[in-house]
Amino acid sequence: MRIRRHNSDQHDSAHGIDLAPMLDFVLNLLIFFIITAIFVKEVGLTVSRPTDVNQSNEESSSIQIQVLDTGEIFVDNRLVDLRAVRANVERLKALNSDAGVLIVADVAAQTGIIMGVVDQARLGGIYNITFSTTE
Amino acid sequence: MKNKRYASADGEDHGIDLAPMLDFVLNLLIFFIITTSFIKEAGVTVVRPEASTAENREDGNILVALRPNGEVWMERHRVDMREVRAAIERLHIERPDDTVVILADKSSPAGLLAKVMDEVRQGGITEISIAAENTGG
Repeated sequence: MRIRRHNSDQHDSAHGIDLAPMLDFVLNLLIFFIITAIFVKEVGLTVSRPTDVNQSNEESSSIQIQVLDTGEIFVDNRLVDLRAVRANVERLKALNSDAGVLIVADVAAQTGIIMGVVDQARLGGIYNITFSTTE
Repeated sequence: MKNKRYASADGEDHGIDLAPMLDFVLNLLIFFIITTSFIKEAGVTVVRPEASTAENREDGNILVALRPNGEVWMERHRVDMREVRAAIERLHIERPDDTVVILADKSSPAGLLAKVMDEVRQGGITEISIAAENTGG
């Protein structure tokens, strides 16, 4: 700051164009952009919703996982623990390698449990995950 | 640009040469202008569900937050479920490459999540991801 003022004073009294106002403006712009810059990026899991067109089609070839409002998880109509979902998905994927996962959740089920199931399915090697709810 | 040249000519006569500093500051300025991302913050903090396979969403700039009590937040305001679609349509027109990240609280109901996902899709953005806390492993 001292250097700049010293210099601009000299310019004013001597000759040439006074750079100080431009420099002030540019520095203000710079500070504005530094402050407003946000470098945080969200991490997440991509989940799709069933479309009306292929809903019936998808249900036939996919692994169905049901989540109840109590937090219980059913894979193929069998009650399983959250940590066992991965193993079940891997087993069913071995039977039908191009299957997707269809999560059918109760409307009152907690998002945390659904995301746990999505995570387990992805660990089991299936990234095509559809999420629907029962009315 | 012409101004700067005048300044360096001055520098040869007397005083400190401002031109290199000005160049540097302008470069910094351009860098920050370019890297500024226009993230639409949701405005509330939520407890994210945990996941070990969470991926970075580079263009996930539109954030929609769901709270456990069923509130939906967008752009630092609480919005009604019926406003989500219109808001997404507007943001989609502004920046067509942006995708949506839903910040769903761990204990928010699945029915709400499904409804919001449908509203976002009807607003024209089909790529939706749900934010998670990366637990690694």
